[in-house]
Amino acid sequence: MILPDIASTGGALTALLQAAGVPDAVAGAVDPAQVARGFRFLTAAYTVVWVILAIYIMSLSVRLRRLSQQVRRLKERLGI
Amino acid sequence: MNRPLYVALERALFIATLLLVPICLYSLFMVVPMEEKMGVVQRIFYFHVPAAFSAFLGVAVCALFSALYLWKRERRHDLIAHAGAELGVLFCTIVLLTGPIWARPVWGVWWTGEVRLTSTLVLWLIYVGYLVLRQNAENREQAARWSAVVAIIGALDMPIIYKSVEWWRGLHPKVLKMSGGGGLDPAMERTLLLCTTTFFLLFFYLLIQRVRAGRLQDEVEDLLHRARQAHAAGAPTPTTGADA
Repeated sequence: MILPDIASTGGALTALLQAAGVPDAVAGAVDPAQVARGFRFLTAAYTVVWVILAIYIMSLSVRLRRLSQQVRRLKERLGI
Repeated sequence: MNRPLYVALERALFIATLLLVPICLYSLFMVVPMEEKMGVVQRIFYFHVPAAFSAFLGVAVCALFSALYLWKRERRHDLIAHAGAELGVLFCTIVLLTGPIWARPVWGVWWTGEVRLTSTLVLWLIYVGYLVLRQNAENREQAARWSAVVAIIGALDMPIIYKSVEWWRGLHPKVLKMSGGGGLDPAMERTLLLCTTTFFLLFFYLLIQRVRAGRLQDEVEDLLHRARQAHAAGAPTPTTGADA
């Protein structure tokens, strides 16, 4: 597994922030290694949010489909 | 509410949420300025705080409809309360997981015994208890009644969480003006508002879906009850259909 060089990743992220219009005074002032470390935590947090929401939405969708099928089959068998 | 209006509302919530998600992501990565002390990790704020507001909303919905259930004993109030509790736990889980990820690089620790953190964990435990209680109740009526009492008592934790940063000095920052903080940069405030709106739309969409699941579950139980009665009268008993 190739581990990315944190300092160069941080430098690239800093450059990305500058390209995105984040003021130099802010983006440039931050140490690239610190930016990379921040991005790792930010990525972890956003992954947690998306994964939790995705699991819940999928489980709710499966539950709804299963219940709808059960209702339909029970109605058919009861002749309703 | 009549059926076509209900379906239209549900679709509108879904589409609005889908449209707002990329706008939120664009805004929080491209528009908001970098926070000077915390740097890029501060952007967790735009999911962490809306998730906390949504968790509060879930708990408030649950407590309100639990009180209505205890007063009027209408099944629909219990269904909404149950859905609110489940969503409260969902969003509170997000808060409790994103909080430590934010705390580690900023405070140097994943977790402290700080009042806001502890009281939020207590709220989560109370509402997980609420869901467990419902699962283990002997019947629908008992589950509704007991859990309604738990929901109302559990909601008393909300003002403690909200006011904790004012009542006790701790590590958790006071950011918003309404919590006694210094306020935010206008771009940050707008993005926070946008993200909160998106979370609320998602909350209401999921609430509608969860209430529908509750209604269907009731329908399955009622149909099975009728089937058992029919069986007792001599007709064959149908299964739930889940195994078919």
